[in-house]
Amino acid sequence: MKFAKTKKVISIILAASMIVLLTGCGTTGTEQTSGENGQKQGTESAATAAPETGTKTGTEAGTEAGDGKDSFSDLLDPASPVKVTFYSYSLGMAQMKDGMSYLIDTFNNTIGKEKGIVVEGVADDYTKWKTDVQAGNQVDIVQHPFGTLDASAQNMGIKAYEDVFPKEELESHLDGITENALSLGKINGKMYGLAFTFSTPILYINGKIFEDAGLDPNNPPKTWEEMLTYAKTIKEKTGKDGFGLTPDNSWITDGIIYTNGGQILNDDRTKAVFASDETVEAFKLWKKFYEEGVAALGTTSDNMQGFAAGSIGMHLQSSSVLSSIKAAAEAGGWKLYGAAMPGMNGREAVPVNSGSCLVVRPDNDQKAQAIWEFIKFVTGDEGYTIITSRIGYLPLRTYLADDPQYLKDYVDQNPLLRINIDQLSRIRAAAIWPGDSATETMGIFTNAVTEAISTDADIKTVLTEAQEEINAILE
Amino acid sequence: MKIKIPEKVKPYLFLLPVIVLIGFWVYRPMLQTLQYSMYKWNMVPGTQASYVGFENFIKLLTKKEFGIAVANTVFYILGMLPFSVVIPLFLSVATQSLADKVKNGYRAFFFLPMIMAPVAIGIIFQWLFHPTNGIVNSVLQKTGLIEQVVPFLSDQATAKYVIAFIAGWKMIGFSTLMFSAALTGIDTQYYEASRMDGVGAVRRFFDITLVMLSPTVMLMLMMSILFSSQSTFAYIDVLTQGGPLNSTTNIYYLMYKYAFSDMNVGLSAAATILFLVVFGVIAIALQLLTKKIAFYDN
Repeated sequence: MKFAKTKKVISIILAASMIVLLTGCGTTGTEQTSGENGQKQGTESAATAAPETGTKTGTEAGTEAGDGKDSFSDLLDPASPVKVTFYSYSLGMAQMKDGMSYLIDTFNNTIGKEKGIVVEGVADDYTKWKTDVQAGNQVDIVQHPFGTLDASAQNMGIKAYEDVFPKEELESHLDGITENALSLGKINGKMYGLAFTFSTPILYINGKIFEDAGLDPNNPPKTWEEMLTYAKTIKEKTGKDGFGLTPDNSWITDGIIYTNGGQILNDDRTKAVFASDETVEAFKLWKKFYEEGVAALGTTSDNMQGFAAGSIGMHLQSSSVLSSIKAAAEAGGWKLYGAAMPGMNGREAVPVNSGSCLVVRPDNDQKAQAIWEFIKFVTGDEGYTIITSRIGYLPLRTYLADDPQYLKDYVDQNPLLRINIDQLSRIRAAAIWPGDSATETMGIFTNAVTEAISTDADIKTVLTEAQEEINAILE
Repeated sequence: MKIKIPEKVKPYLFLLPVIVLIGFWVYRPMLQTLQYSMYKWNMVPGTQASYVGFENFIKLLTKKEFGIAVANTVFYILGMLPFSVVIPLFLSVATQSLADKVKNGYRAFFFLPMIMAPVAIGIIFQWLFHPTNGIVNSVLQKTGLIEQVVPFLSDQATAKYVIAFIAGWKMIGFSTLMFSAALTGIDTQYYEASRMDGVGAVRRFFDITLVMLSPTVMLMLMMSILFSSQSTFAYIDVLTQGGPLNSTTNIYYLMYKYAFSDMNVGLSAAATILFLVVFGVIAIALQLLTKKIAFYDN
């Protein structure tokens, strides 16, 4: 009897302590979600995860750093270097890792050492940097794709260049970078991303398959119609797939729509308008490759592996994988040819750019200065020389291609790059999906393209449905 | 001075650390998840969450991809059962009566996939199922079973079967090990007695082996059902990212996508809560079923 009573008392104490514990947690929870305290949480975890992060992750930082100044007062000290983290997806890709590491190391060993900056490269997968921001870690510079730039500008605490870097220095640095490229990172007149690694689609051609099919690789197809005929010939004569481009490529598609005169979003990016006749017409032509059985099936990486292994005749793909495809061709004993993206229905091709811009999240003046030094280096003459020759991305300072001190020799040896540099003057941005629904709406669009191209579904119906779904979200 | 702790309090003191830890690491995040499901927030420090009530749940339930994800979750559960129960049961019984060295050799082979990294497995299967360079298509074509290559991972009709197969293949080893361990525990007297009575091998399997293994069968059944979403996650992420056209996505992958790709923790939390409730009910039902069906040889 007595025992039962004690047991009861202890149970009550335990239960009570549990409740106290849980309520305690509940309070922390509420704090986190209520604005100001959310900031507090960020500060706390930043402090534990990376001591130098400083305390402001929120909106104020930008206004303090550099705004309106013409130059930085020197805050860097070689004796106590400041650490800058650089999240780069190129570091996470086997074909690009070495080149990107070399770029970072070169900076650290030269300017970094001299001025007191250590850039730490972090391999990214488009997601890691976001989760690290969520976790309150120090994320200073990110190699960011264009399609979701608006979303990050709104949600992820990234700063406009004009707000954090000195105006004069910024202007003089941007001089010499293709205007077309610069405009891609601008949202509402402010630069949230500085064009960094750029590539345009090129039509890779397997010389051996062309010759086996009785085609001349020096006379590549100039239009989609021609490309279809070529692809059919290849399939007939060699049994291999004529052409490879997956519907979920998520950037070249935009160029195909633009080429035929279509649009994806309206001018002020408030509505999706891709379900037009121009798009439908372009997609019909693209779909014919599937209907005729001359398209390479599989995922994007299947296509890339297939072309590298010599089982696909033509492959529309980013120039950034040039060096790895070239190596595969040499290993496989066939010659790689290339051509510009083909036009359509009598219209000239409008290539889009894939690639990235650099976005910045400085949290104090000193950090802003350190970041600026790194950005000046990697988007400067020497930086682009490394990027182009060691990775395969385009030099956005196009004059470098004719400068014997920098890239002339390399471009002369790799004529495919010339095609790309020529396309640079005609590029248009792949669609920048608006706001915080960017990933979602982009996903709906990509799914619709996949369904329209690779299934029996009616193109117009599929696109119209997707457009309505997206516009409902955008409203 | 020595504090004397009453005997009756002691057991609870021993329990206290565990209760505190579980409370802090399990129930606290769970309650937070419940709270997040009522907010719209991107989890970025310094930003404000806005209260939206049950809107996340409504949005979730009206989403087309959520329906597909639920159907696929059920598909993966059913698809994994042969690999987690039927095949391992057969393998462990078939290898049980072999000489020890051979038996251990076989079991080591079965277990090997279990210790391999899921991402590496994903990449290997990507090569095997490659449309033009993969061995699967090549063999199928050479034997005349197919004329055109099948793009296994980018065809809606085949992609989720491949995912279920890979996840199942990895599960076989663990299940086989569990069944083998349970088999060793069965008293051989039952078999001797049944042999004397002239009972055949099939009858022995169903009347003795299966009955004696029933607790393990139920355990594996439960693990397979509850973990099928988790074990398919890595392959979905590596091989298809939920595509083509959401045909391989499951509820776990959606939670991940909402929270860390779409940056919408509220929607993710709402999905998590629904998942928790449904699978909680399933887990309780299975527990009750185990009590009813499982036979313990005490």
